[in-house]
Amino acid sequence: MYSNVLLPRQWSRFACICRYSTAVEGQKLPQNSASSDGISPPPRIRRGPTDILEALAATVGPDPTAAHYKYHDDPYLIPLSNFRKRAYALSAEAGRRAAVWIRDNHAELFNMREWDPPAKMKTPHYNADPRIDAYAPKPIYTSESKVTEEDLQYTINNSLVEDSLQVFQLLGGMEGVGGDLRVKFLQLLCFYNEKEADSMEWMEERWFASNIKERQAATWRTGGLAEKIFASIEPKTSEAYCAIIQGMAKYYQAERAHMLAQEAIEKGLVLSTDVYNSLLSCVGFLKEGTTMRTEALKATLAEMHKHGISPNQGTLTACLRSVSAWGGGRALQQLALQLLAEFKQIGIQPGLSAYYYMLCLFCKERGPKVDILSTILADLESRETLTAVEPTDTNFFITAMGVCSDHLQDINMAERLHTLLMKGDNYKLVGDAYKESIYYRHYVTVACRQAPFEKTTELLDTLVPNVYVPEPTVFEEIIKTLELGGAGARLAAAWSQLVIFGHAKRVRLVERLLQAMCSCYQYQDDEVKAKTRAAAADILSFGQLTDEEIAQKRDQRTPQAQLSAQALTNIIQLCSDVTDKADPHWEAVSEAAQRLRKEAVGVPTDPSVLSSVAQATAAKGKPGIAALCSDVTDKADPHWEAVSEAAVAQATAAKGKPGIAAALVMYLAENGFEEATTASASVLGTLLNRTESEVQQLLATPRGGLEESLHPSAAVLLDAYHLATTGVEPSRNARDSSSSDSDSDSSSDDE
Amino acid sequence: MSVFIKHYKASHLLSASNVKFFRFSSTAADLPLKKEDDDEEFRVLDIVKKRQRQQRRLNKRTDIQPDRSDRMAIDQKWGNVWPGPKTFHPSSVPLPLRQGYVPKGQAPPGKKANAELMKIPNFLHLTPPVVKTQCEALKQFCTPWPELLNSEEAIEKHYPVEIISSNYCHASPSIRNPLSRVVSLRVKLSDLKLDKHARDKFLRIIGDRYDETTGLVTITADRCPAKKQNYDYVNYLLTACYFESFNVEDWEGEKTEDDMEYYDFDRNTSRKNLINWYLKSKNEVKSMSEEEYRDFDISQIDHAEVYKNAVSKIMNDGESDDTLRSYDEAVRKLLGLPQKAASS
Repeated sequence: MYSNVLLPRQWSRFACICRYSTAVEGQKLPQNSASSDGISPPPRIRRGPTDILEALAATVGPDPTAAHYKYHDDPYLIPLSNFRKRAYALSAEAGRRAAVWIRDNHAELFNMREWDPPAKMKTPHYNADPRIDAYAPKPIYTSESKVTEEDLQYTINNSLVEDSLQVFQLLGGMEGVGGDLRVKFLQLLCFYNEKEADSMEWMEERWFASNIKERQAATWRTGGLAEKIFASIEPKTSEAYCAIIQGMAKYYQAERAHMLAQEAIEKGLVLSTDVYNSLLSCVGFLKEGTTMRTEALKATLAEMHKHGISPNQGTLTACLRSVSAWGGGRALQQLALQLLAEFKQIGIQPGLSAYYYMLCLFCKERGPKVDILSTILADLESRETLTAVEPTDTNFFITAMGVCSDHLQDINMAERLHTLLMKGDNYKLVGDAYKESIYYRHYVTVACRQAPFEKTTELLDTLVPNVYVPEPTVFEEIIKTLELGGAGARLAAAWSQLVIFGHAKRVRLVERLLQAMCSCYQYQDDEVKAKTRAAAADILSFGQLTDEEIAQKRDQRTPQAQLSAQALTNIIQLCSDVTDKADPHWEAVSEAAQRLRKEAVGVPTDPSVLSSVAQATAAKGKPGIAALCSDVTDKADPHWEAVSEAAVAQATAAKGKPGIAAALVMYLAENGFEEATTASASVLGTLLNRTESEVQQLLATPRGGLEESLHPSAAVLLDAYHLATTGVEPSRNARDSSSSDSDSDSSSDDE
Repeated sequence: MSVFIKHYKASHLLSASNVKFFRFSSTAADLPLKKEDDDEEFRVLDIVKKRQRQQRRLNKRTDIQPDRSDRMAIDQKWGNVWPGPKTFHPSSVPLPLRQGYVPKGQAPPGKKANAELMKIPNFLHLTPPVVKTQCEALKQFCTPWPELLNSEEAIEKHYPVEIISSNYCHASPSIRNPLSRVVSLRVKLSDLKLDKHARDKFLRIIGDRYDETTGLVTITADRCPAKKQNYDYVNYLLTACYFESFNVEDWEGEKTEDDMEYYDFDRNTSRKNLINWYLKSKNEVKSMSEEEYRDFDISQIDHAEVYKNAVSKIMNDGESDDTLRSYDEAVRKLLGLPQKAASS
């Protein structure tokens, strides 16, 4: 289907040596009974045309590393985000659609053979043998087509509503079509409400069709062709009544449906069980209030009983559908249970839809906890196979998983449900892409919240990303779980997943991830730590655009989301945890600090982190970054800034950069921080390599005499000390030239 | 590719197109030359440099995931990963494969971007565990083998007639193959209950369809368009030949010694000579009629049976060391001469 390279294969030859033994004289004929004589072969085991294929397919289990088989198995072509999954699958199908269009519009290319000149004649020719109708060109009906009743029969059988309408008109409307065919046409129109049905051919379109909840409004085409045809049928048979009543009931024309039903009963016509089922499912539209509606429901059931119509599974589903649509409350729940019990008594098992409506009725979001799911599961597990009977059957699993997640918050129940879904052929009951995604959203959420950590990670490994790509909310839940479990390696890998899934631009999620990384960073292995740092650095550089891209973006004017100050702080914290001075992560720290200063939104909540980073960087001989860091601390808390700057000054002094140290202390003093006093003292101590008491002594002596004997930076420190203690600057001029000289090489201009 | 499949005379055509296909992929050097020619022909004056600007927009994809073979668990079921036949793909096969011809001393190229690995058919979908599970899955469609047919001999005894036909499976719009109409019937000649005359006649009728070394009669039919018809036809041929061989026509009585297809001791003068010699040795010389010669029981002569066999053998199989020696021994026994010394 998804063209693998098709090598011209040698005709694989299965020579089978069969021992036929019929019709040759003197030989035993195979009997149609068991091989009682031990010689003749036992009777053949009957099998369908696809039974062997199905048996072989059943030996193939799921492969968690592979994408769905509809995608190409290639790293470049395996879709990893929901968007790509949808786009790839629909693209492939669009190609098929185009091919089908060509086939239908140029049918002569496929079923005619043109002979070589001179005759140039055309003869019908079919390449395939035996001919496969599904691959043969479909007829196209236009207003010029010559049609017969057979064409109408064909369009009705293939439920081509638009085409059948066209053919009906071409045949001359009511006059041209009579009898049985007219009733069939009426049935088709009523079933589809005169609208073209979704084609069964386009699997992917159906799978990815956005699931818009069916509107519970009267969409029946009043006065349409269906009603005209119904009016034209004389005498009205019960078949015609059944068709029109079911059509009206299906499209919520409840009152008229019930009127027609009444009319038919008065005429003495027998209505089918399906008609009563459809009437039951729209009985609530006739009356207001729970009691009245319950009365009407019971009256319809009683009427069924009176006419001797036996109910089936659909009857129960229809009743429960009505009941669940009328809201909640004990009375209705009681009624539903009564219905269930009574149907069980007459031997009718509730289907998946019935259970779906039961869950809707009992497990309300803010209602009390009702554990009916375990009973339902026990019943379903005991059944051999689950078959879909109604479209609503596909709602069961998603609703049940929702109940497990939100209502019961029970991981064991969720696992039981999932095992049931994976059993046999049940996975087809998952519905479509939208429902599947919601189902897994619930499952992963409940697993993250309730399951033990190992189980959760195992589940995530099997589901993500080939079966399910977590939405942002679910991803946040996953990050929380990983954080609690302290899985540093997984958190580091989570960033690349975010990029692949297309969530990397969701700032909130990225920030949450950074926070989680920070909180479990401490107790990780060195290897994991390195990975985390790499991830953090990558987060920082992810949003950065090249110049060309910026030029492009200018036209689009999409606002660029920016990491918050807190996130940048986290990056700084993570990236700064390296011992090597030449490590490239310092670039990231510096970059983060720059951005923190320039553009970051908000304030870092934990300035002590920044200040300690500043100290650490200073101690490692990176004064530029240290200064930057201590500077941005200011955003959060001036006090912390002062502390960190003092520390940075101390460290730079120790590293032999007195210029920067002095400038920093001076900055402190000028801004009136009290830390300036102690800082200047200690820095001076480091600088001159004196003890504290000696420094105190030095500071106490009036300057002037010291002026020449000291290093210019020491002089500045002295000035700063005096400025801090007294608030007066002794001799500013003397210092300026010297300090600017000594600082020229440093990066203190950042200050 | 479907072009290849349409033709029925597949064997030549397929091999030819195979070669072409492979050559196409391996001599990629031809392609650029051709392309340049095309460019020469359709050169467009690009004033606004529109083309260049468009090319720049191609941005590299960043979200290419690593090979999935890296993530595979060591205890995974390989059948789930590679469930059916398909072309080799390096990212899905966790094996360090190498293939290709290189000058001596170099390692063959690895699995990535290796056309050699993609060309050859692989059997990655039919590993022994997969074959085993598939067999288990198919058991439900199988009936038990009849117990008494527990040996080749038993099968041959109860089902002497063998029908051989072939089914063909190929990727093409049509499932028909003209070769599948051919039906062969095989039966052991000894299983047909023929008397001497009938056997002789049967062999003459079927001609070269009898294989003396195996003793099998093979009748093949391919003249009808359908397998069923050919099957009926071979059955008809066997039945017709069988009953025809029992018919004795008038002219069959005119068969003379010259018409015999083999040497029959009992109908030749050798027998008469033997009887004459025997009677002479007993001094009972008398002239006998043909009738008497025929009714004479030669088993009363000592070693006559051995002599008869030896003569028949030398006449039917031709002279050879073996036949001559046995004739020698038989004559010595008959005449009561001493056996040759075993030394020679």
